Amino acid sequence: MSARRLAACAIAALAAALACSNDPYPSEDARVAVRYSVLPGPPKTLDPAVSYSALDHQITANVYESLLEYDYLLRPYTLIPGLARAVPVRRDLPGGRVAYRFDLRPGMLYQEDPCFALGGAGRGTREIVAEDVAFELMRIADPAVTSPVGATFAKIVGFEAFAARLQQLRDSRPDFSALRIDRQYAEAGGIEGLRVDPPYGLEVVLAEPYPQILYWFAMPFTTPVAWEAVAFYDGQGGRPFFRDHAVGSGAFRVEEYAKHFRIALARNENWYGIRHPDWHAPGATYPSRGEPQDAGDGLLDPATVGRPLPFLERLEFRIEKEAIASFNKFLQGYYDTSAVLQESFDKVIQEGRLSPEMAARGMQLEKAVGLDVSYIGFNMNDPVVGAPAGERGRRLRAALSLAVDAREFLRIFSNGLGLPAQSPLPPGIFGFDPDYANPYRQPDLDRARELLREAGYPQGLDPTTGQPLHLSFDLGDTSTRGRLRFQYFVDEWSRLGVDVEIAATTYNQFQEKVRKGAYQLFLWGWVADYPDPENFLFLLWGPMSQSSSGGPNTANFSNRRYDALFLEMKNRENDPRRLRIIREMRAILERQCPWIPISHSETYTLYQPWMRNVKPAALSYPQAKYQDVDAAERARLRTAWNRPVVWPAWVLAAAAVVLVAPGVVTYFRERQ
Amino acid sequence: VLVYLARRVAYGFATVIGVLLLLFALFFLYASPTEMARRAVGDKAPPEALAQWIHNHGYDRPRLWNPEHPLDTLLVDHFRRMLSFDFGRSDADDSPISGQLRRRMLPSLMVTVPLFVAGLVISVGLALFVAYFRETYIDRAGVVLCVLAMSVSILLYIIGGQYLVGKVLRWFPISGFDPTPALVARFLALPWVVGLLGSVGGDVRFYRTVFVEETGRVMLQHVLRNAMIQILTRVVVQIPFLFTGALLLESFFGIPGLGSMTVDAINGNDFSTLRVMVFIGTVLFVLGQIATDVGYTLVDPRVRLE
Repeated sequence: MSARRLAACAIAALAAALACSNDPYPSEDARVAVRYSVLPGPPKTLDPAVSYSALDHQITANVYESLLEYDYLLRPYTLIPGLARAVPVRRDLPGGRVAYRFDLRPGMLYQEDPCFALGGAGRGTREIVAEDVAFELMRIADPAVTSPVGATFAKIVGFEAFAARLQQLRDSRPDFSALRIDRQYAEAGGIEGLRVDPPYGLEVVLAEPYPQILYWFAMPFTTPVAWEAVAFYDGQGGRPFFRDHAVGSGAFRVEEYAKHFRIALARNENWYGIRHPDWHAPGATYPSRGEPQDAGDGLLDPATVGRPLPFLERLEFRIEKEAIASFNKFLQGYYDTSAVLQESFDKVIQEGRLSPEMAARGMQLEKAVGLDVSYIGFNMNDPVVGAPAGERGRRLRAALSLAVDAREFLRIFSNGLGLPAQSPLPPGIFGFDPDYANPYRQPDLDRARELLREAGYPQGLDPTTGQPLHLSFDLGDTSTRGRLRFQYFVDEWSRLGVDVEIAATTYNQFQEKVRKGAYQLFLWGWVADYPDPENFLFLLWGPMSQSSSGGPNTANFSNRRYDALFLEMKNRENDPRRLRIIREMRAILERQCPWIPISHSETYTLYQPWMRNVKPAALSYPQAKYQDVDAAERARLRTAWNRPVVWPAWVLAAAAVVLVAPGVVTYFRERQ
Repeated sequence: VLVYLARRVAYGFATVIGVLLLLFALFFLYASPTEMARRAVGDKAPPEALAQWIHNHGYDRPRLWNPEHPLDTLLVDHFRRMLSFDFGRSDADDSPISGQLRRRMLPSLMVTVPLFVAGLVISVGLALFVAYFRETYIDRAGVVLCVLAMSVSILLYIIGGQYLVGKVLRWFPISGFDPTPALVARFLALPWVVGLLGSVGGDVRFYRTVFVEETGRVMLQHVLRNAMIQILTRVVVQIPFLFTGALLLESFFGIPGLGSMTVDAINGNDFSTLRVMVFIGTVLFVLGQIATDVGYTLVDPRVRLE
């Protein structure tokens, strides 16, 4: 009896499952303004002082609002006030120091969270004050937090001294670490260069001019953080760690954080833009200006311009590691945006445009070039390819550069996506010149052979050995795919008669080689933190060289004129003089060839027809608050795209019966 | 009996210790903490941040021998932690591993337990059916279908199932997971079907052989009873692994269970999590072996533990 009931239950459950559709979401959300997106893995951390990946920033940038932000539409990227009232201007102090004063808007609140009861029983939120920004900067200095950007903020006066005092107190007094975190910081004396003018003013004093510091105030690193949140979410007594529990100030708050499959952000009703639409704050109002093509792209719809943000009710993220599965769900309408899957590239994109099939679905395609550069670098300390070889070395580098066809490389390895680089600077950065063509980056094998001969290596032969010139190409990537990419360059160079050997090691061993200076050629890349030429050109600045200071100038390029120009360029506004300096620096790089610039990345992003106000950006900043969806249209199209095909189920069942029934019937007939 | 059990447990313990030693050698002598730190802190992190991470996680302590504090070494720490089931924190995101184990066990069990029960019932049922109709075309068709099902890789079932059922027929979501009661069956239906396809073929062949060997066409309960010892051998060993989840099913269908936790740990150089998964797997395997031995005596009085 009970077995029969069990079977009945199982059949009922199966029937329920069969009656369902392939819709992965609860039906009550079908007509709500929810944006669905996919993350290829769980975020590492939500701690704004630590999180440093584009993936983490998809959550943190929308939850933690920064003092400054980027204009949603304008390019080149332009800073606008966020939580601060205005973008501060630099004030020069004696001794070469500079100061920036931020003033927070009064009356802004954190999201509701139980941690605020620490500041007084029954409290669910509190006002955002300047002290909280100082607190977050002290967290960046705190060695126990392991922030990756401490070196940048070390320009703040007294930053490193604070970190050292804190460490010393922790080492010398066993009870010190048990103190509440804000008291620890207070006992360590705070950071000298952070002058809080309670409740809303904060002056940041830098030991030397560094105009780019403002960009760092447009990143989640410098968001105000409540000490209550850090003290309360300590992983004890069933409470999560602060890194897994955000207490933010942004337009959205984390509603669910099941980080291995679902992350949901809901509107933060305490956000200043929602509570005070009357302020018409730049960071809480849809912009009225944009690039020339934005109006045509529907980004300046009069119904949207000037409206208070945000438009979306909720952001839903699903973690999907399998790109094929998530792209297919995108095609079914269950994700609102997607990258183009490499495997179906030709089905979706034809001649740089949407395929007719995709266009008929009303799909939108947005292309964006990243703020990055990948390059082959020469170790300028090397006796053969580097500066010690003098003019011979320069000609050798130029010849190798002329042999590399970046366009072909991109065609083979990335479906043609990417922009062949002419210099370190990508588009969107001040100083980028679309008309500039680096003469050594236009593939020309004849000219390359000629230069090689002039360098003393006729037909690529090394005169001392009589053998082909032997170089090593060091890389920190042992994957087959990586190897194929490097083989492409090696094949190009072999056409000059030069024998380049690939020395593939793990990334770690590669770093070790770099540290010891035992390398000749390497392929590397850089992704900018902020849209300023300084963030690219510093990669070739002599004092930052790997060999002398362990800095990011892995090519160990050192040129007196370049170094002097860099110092002057670094601290200037974007004026004509700065442009002239950048041009001169570019000319030095062109002639010296410490790098073979390969490409700037390019991404194609697909958006469903119901997505509104989408503009791709190469930087992480709060974008979701500007976006919108037409949920009714989405519900209609999803239904149309996902009618289940039922007849095969009946065919299968019939086939099973047809197969088994005759045997059973014959058998019983025989037995009778 | 007790002596036998004690000896069995001692063997099991020795196995666990051996595996722990091997794990230590693999992870702590071969892998470099810098690599782990870079994965955790990020590629752009400067060397000081990496060093700080390594220090904060205690990986800068001596590995095998510390002249000043003989007990403050990674080796001692490794054994102390594992044997006391105090697993510490993940290298990838610093979250407590035992908490993760608890959270991710449920999705795994949701996949594996119904799959295990249904697999057992269906394959024993089908095996009895084909054994009953042995030497008829039903039996022969059964052979063909089973061998066909066995020879196809589970990967093909997964990708084929996602394509056919998820994309072409649109019966179930292609992948994903949601523990709410209204949605959970919708997400798990396809993994279940795929898992069954992958296991039923072999099981049916195995059980059919067992049944046919035991008797001719006699009453079913007798057949089942006598075949129990073979069924038990095959089944009890599997039970512990219901907890460790299904590696492939979970990672392809995006189910956040212990199987995908293992895969994530491998991909993310997360050694502290990986060693816990291997350790738990070993312990469960040893327990399964012992349970099988004990189970024998329960179904077959001829077997004694000696």
